[in-house]
Amino acid sequence: MSVTGLIVVLVVLAAASVVGVLLRARNGRIVTTAGRVTPGWELAGLAPQADDRVLLLQLSSPICTPCRQTAAQLTELSGTRDGLRHVEVDIAERPEVARTLDVMRTPTTVAFARDGRELLRVSGVPRRRELLEALDSELTCAR
Amino acid sequence: MQLDPRGVRFAATITTVVLALVLITGSGWLALAQAVVFALPSLFGMRLSPYGALFRVLVRPRLGPPAETEDAAPVRFSQTVGLVFTIVAAAGYLGGLTALGVVATAFALAAAFLNAAFGFCLGCEMYGLIARARGARTA
Repeated sequence: MSVTGLIVVLVVLAAASVVGVLLRARNGRIVTTAGRVTPGWELAGLAPQADDRVLLLQLSSPICTPCRQTAAQLTELSGTRDGLRHVEVDIAERPEVARTLDVMRTPTTVAFARDGRELLRVSGVPRRRELLEALDSELTCAR
Repeated sequence: MQLDPRGVRFAATITTVVLALVLITGSGWLALAQAVVFALPSLFGMRLSPYGALFRVLVRPRLGPPAETEDAAPVRFSQTVGLVFTIVAAAGYLGGLTALGVVATAFALAAAFLNAAFGFCLGCEMYGLIARARGARTA
């Protein structure tokens, strides 16, 4: 029996609990990042069409369960809401996208207005209702 | 292949207990045994996971069918990450480098506990960071 080992166990469990609680609180929460101008549409390989209002650029990695849940949710959302585009990029294939947008975790979803302004970011699976509410003014703005 | 997420959490819980015991007893052999447990699903697929088999035989029959399933690839990747850490841990303890054994086991314990208690896959999250670091180096 190692006393040092026991202390290490307790310290690790305490530290991991703090990290877990923080990550859980952050997961799916919308962070407004208005003001930054980044080439989101260009990174997605798109030019905004006449009807496009908001781009949801989802950064994913191949080994990522919540990325798949996020992709399913955002695909459904962009199919039902006019003006909303969803593009998923794999950062294992295109790491420059993660670098340009300074993204550390997958899935991270970054929303862009049609003029290239960054609107908000969500890491983890977005909360559907909150996301729609946050994008509402941009989606319904004058065409 | 799809997995029952409850089985993944169950396996992570046993792993947490085993890794805590490794630290408390300082047993390199127990670390090696856990490395073998990681190696089987990592090398041959999730069906050969010993803790997964335990879940299918003992726990699953008492529960209903899962509400959702989870893709096996990320979980298998996390077993490989666990394998690397426990091999280093076993080598440290058995080779007389106890500090190395303690540090490697502590990292593996943190990852297993985050999965067991919060359903959070640290090995999977790291994949994105690794891909990004690789891109930064070649850029």
